[in-house]
Amino acid sequence: MDLRDCFKYFAGRQGDGVVITSAGVTSGTWWRTTHDMDQVFYLGASMSMISMFGAGIAMGAPKLPVWVFMGDGAFVMNPGMLMVERDLNLPNLKHFLVSNRVYNATGAARLANAKRNDYAAIARAVGIERVFEIDSLEGLHGQFDKIVSEPGHTFTVLEVEPLREKPGGVPIDDVESKFRFGRYIERKAGIKIFRHPALEPMNR
Amino acid sequence: MIVEQLVQSGIKLVASLPDDWIAPLIDAVDKDDRFKHVPVNREESAVGLCSGAFFGGIPSLALMGASGLTTCIYAITKINYSYHIPLFIFATLRGVIGDPRPHHISNGLYLTKLLDSISLPFLLVEERKTIERIPAAFKHCQAMNRPEVVLFSEAVLLGEA
Repeated sequence: MDLRDCFKYFAGRQGDGVVITSAGVTSGTWWRTTHDMDQVFYLGASMSMISMFGAGIAMGAPKLPVWVFMGDGAFVMNPGMLMVERDLNLPNLKHFLVSNRVYNATGAARLANAKRNDYAAIARAVGIERVFEIDSLEGLHGQFDKIVSEPGHTFTVLEVEPLREKPGGVPIDDVESKFRFGRYIERKAGIKIFRHPALEPMNR
Repeated sequence: MIVEQLVQSGIKLVASLPDDWIAPLIDAVDKDDRFKHVPVNREESAVGLCSGAFFGGIPSLALMGASGLTTCIYAITKINYSYHIPLFIFATLRGVIGDPRPHHISNGLYLTKLLDSISLPFLLVEERKTIERIPAAFKHCQAMNRPEVVLFSEAVLLGEA
């Protein structure tokens, strides 16, 4: 499956939900597909933290769909995150693993044990019940509602080909990204994120 | 007493990974309905979860040992420094005089110097009376939009101070 076609399909069905992407081609391709700076947080660092990051949002905004797109280069750095995800079992958190079996953004060096890694089996082994494996656009079309529209935490492996042409970076300042993304969540989820600590204490 | 200061600060979510000094505090948080307690698989996951919780509007705390904190430097400097996301951390002040465990010597030698080297503010809590400064440290963390650490001595954490 081509990641660009895959993301076009997701972007067309995103609705009000938010997206978190990991560094590298996942962030670059989502940016090239959507040019969005409000409903997405491009976490251009600490690649393996994005599902935990998404979980924190999903906990505070339980009616807001949170989609996490994580490259498999990020996943292999911290597969234990799935244990925490299973414990939390957040119904609005959808974890998508973009599996191309290489470190695509840094020259396509292969991942350790690349061909044998069974990411779906790892997820099932920690007790995640709703695990999906998609390797074609047709498969994505067929399973999309089951994965996304039905409530419940899901883990979905998206098998894609490595991109020959790198999508490049995301031209947004990190702090601008923080405020645009946070303000979007404040509007859509009706929660307060940005406070003046002297005027609006946390415990009120 | 520490738990009451967390409540006073408005903290609702605690992500933790223990060392033996901090385990009783984790147990107290776990049994207290005023908090959502999330055990994590590694300390960096607590950084990720609490940073995301900021965007969920949930005041949070990452609770960990000194060794775990040293593994989080990259995540803290990249996520919390780059994006200006506040992160409140409790950790243990290991390897100092009075800590007999040889495997914490590196923490004694380098932990506070390491925090200084990345300009990460920390509050040392080596006496019981300093516990009362926790809400002020939390507010400072929020005001700065940066991480802040509270380092606890064994005597304070185990109720001997």
